[in-house]
Amino acid sequence: MGVDYQYVIEGFITAIQPANILWVIIGGFLGTVVGMLPGLGPATAVAVLIPVTFGMEPTSALILMAAIYYGAMYGGSRSSILLNTPGDGSAIAAAFDGYPMTKKGQAGQALTISAIASLIGGLFAIIGFIILAKPLAAFALKFGPAEYFLLFLFTLSAIVSLSIGNMVKGFISMSIGLILSTVGVDLQSGVHRFTFNIPQLSEGIDFLIVIIGIYAVGEVFYNYMSLDRIKKEKKKVGTKWITKEQWKQSKWPIIRNGPIGFLIGVLPGAGGSIASMLSYTTEKQLSKHPEKFGKGAIEGLAAPESSNNAASVGAFIPLLTMGVPGSGTTAVILGAVVMLGLKPGPLLFENNPEMVWTLVDSMFIGNIFLVILNILLVGLLVRILDTPPKILYPLILVLAFIGTYTLSYSVIDFYILVIFGVIGLMMKLLNFPVAPLILAIIVGSDMEQSFRKSLVAHDSFVNVLVASPVTIALVILTILSICYPFFIGWLRRRKQSRA
Amino acid sequence: MLRLITPIIFIIFGGIYLILTFNMTRAKIGDPNAPLYFPALIGIFLVIISIVYFVQEWKQRKETVEEVKQLFKGRTPFLIIASLVLIFIYSFLFERIGFLYSTILFLTGLLFVVNGRKQWIKNILIAVIFSFVAWYSFAELLDVSLP
Repeated sequence: MGVDYQYVIEGFITAIQPANILWVIIGGFLGTVVGMLPGLGPATAVAVLIPVTFGMEPTSALILMAAIYYGAMYGGSRSSILLNTPGDGSAIAAAFDGYPMTKKGQAGQALTISAIASLIGGLFAIIGFIILAKPLAAFALKFGPAEYFLLFLFTLSAIVSLSIGNMVKGFISMSIGLILSTVGVDLQSGVHRFTFNIPQLSEGIDFLIVIIGIYAVGEVFYNYMSLDRIKKEKKKVGTKWITKEQWKQSKWPIIRNGPIGFLIGVLPGAGGSIASMLSYTTEKQLSKHPEKFGKGAIEGLAAPESSNNAASVGAFIPLLTMGVPGSGTTAVILGAVVMLGLKPGPLLFENNPEMVWTLVDSMFIGNIFLVILNILLVGLLVRILDTPPKILYPLILVLAFIGTYTLSYSVIDFYILVIFGVIGLMMKLLNFPVAPLILAIIVGSDMEQSFRKSLVAHDSFVNVLVASPVTIALVILTILSICYPFFIGWLRRRKQSRA
Repeated sequence: MLRLITPIIFIIFGGIYLILTFNMTRAKIGDPNAPLYFPALIGIFLVIISIVYFVQEWKQRKETVEEVKQLFKGRTPFLIIASLVLIFIYSFLFERIGFLYSTILFLTGLLFVVNGRKQWIKNILIAVIFSFVAWYSFAELLDVSLP
């Protein structure tokens, strides 16, 4: 096994330093609060809070960002369970049985089991990370430009075909992201591309502004539509202690779905939404009482919660070992990490092993902290949820502007921010998935560089595709990922025609 | 027919992008065409996929776009336009009167628009406290310089 116990332990010692524990707590709490806001998810939480990490030491910044991320995952489940308003795809499944439990007056128990399931799922995933990350990084070390180019291509096509909705729209969204990434001075030849003689454009479009614009400004504008529709309901939270019976029901679903979620999280393009949906349907099929699902079955809440938190940890593997984010949210984290001057990839494990392991160990601490926060402080969190969105949305907008200003100290970026906010709003209205665009704009430049380097190395495009066993496998995977939705559609039609 | 506008916009956008790509200055070192390969591929891909999108929308051109209609319901258009106006004023004032004052004004304005006029005391209090806390934590604690 390629586990560096020494680094894991050293990382743990760094992670339990008071300052780092403080960042975990702050990040987890802030993430929970933003994630709890109806309609806002982890991507927004990370995007809005990026500026907080400026001026911080990279390790602490990484710890803080990760804490914001999984904090927002916990928070997202709160709003799914209590208000039936999931903030993003990965929290949708939690609403299926979580909200019915709330309606039955079992909100407290629902929150407790969701927190416990998340913790156990997260712990499984952290163990998985410790075992898998090092070998994967060692494997990725052998990647040349051709492998990287095809890996990017596969990730993009996977995120398009797996994102809910229309594949054509996903590919358009991806193309726009790639187009935006080509603006600016070409790194290899110094040629100005699509800069229209505007000096600000020569450095390219800052992807963090695009991220904040789409995920913060666009989301707030989008949520304006439901602003007056959010009803104030007084909810009985009920007892937070779960019964022995409930624990017996949810124990195995939690344990089964942790590893499932983790493995899905490791796949590029999949992530929490797919993991939690898959876990939900699996448990429903395994259950002796599938008719109870959707009516407040506790195992129907425990399973997706365990799996989506495991997926969120698993998603760090491709991000850190190969520098390839698997989802919109991890793409945002990658953007922020690059801002800090780090280059995630196999070399990160060679050059900064202590940083990686500190991060992983801090996730361990963070998950435990969040469970304590979420169980003991249920009352306080419910009260935060009562804070009218009418007050919180303006605050998010202000944070978005502060964040943008701190990126480049230029007010001109405010206008770019607003333009992308409006684009984000239109995309949501027209059902264009956002994640392919975000992913594309972040990996676009690296993808182009590796494409051109591989063309030089292998003479022709066809040679790039068959350069090594890895490239051939990636080409096949890419084709499969594009065919996958058609295959599912065909299966569904056949099922319907039979029925 | 409104449905067809978006795909047409994308086709035109892709077309313009391709024209710009082929008119780009060539590289002086190495392969002169190297900077255009990648953009050209994306441009061609965007145009093709947008044509597919056009065909898809053409098949259901008589159906209305429900999602976009929501945008014009109730207070939403007012909220968005008012926010945009406030943002422009904010951008104009930001460096002129400084972060603290402009943010207090911006946030008060936003809260009046979004939260309503009835809770004006609350709005002003939140705006002042939040702006001050933000200014203090960024400028003093995090060493981010704000105007």
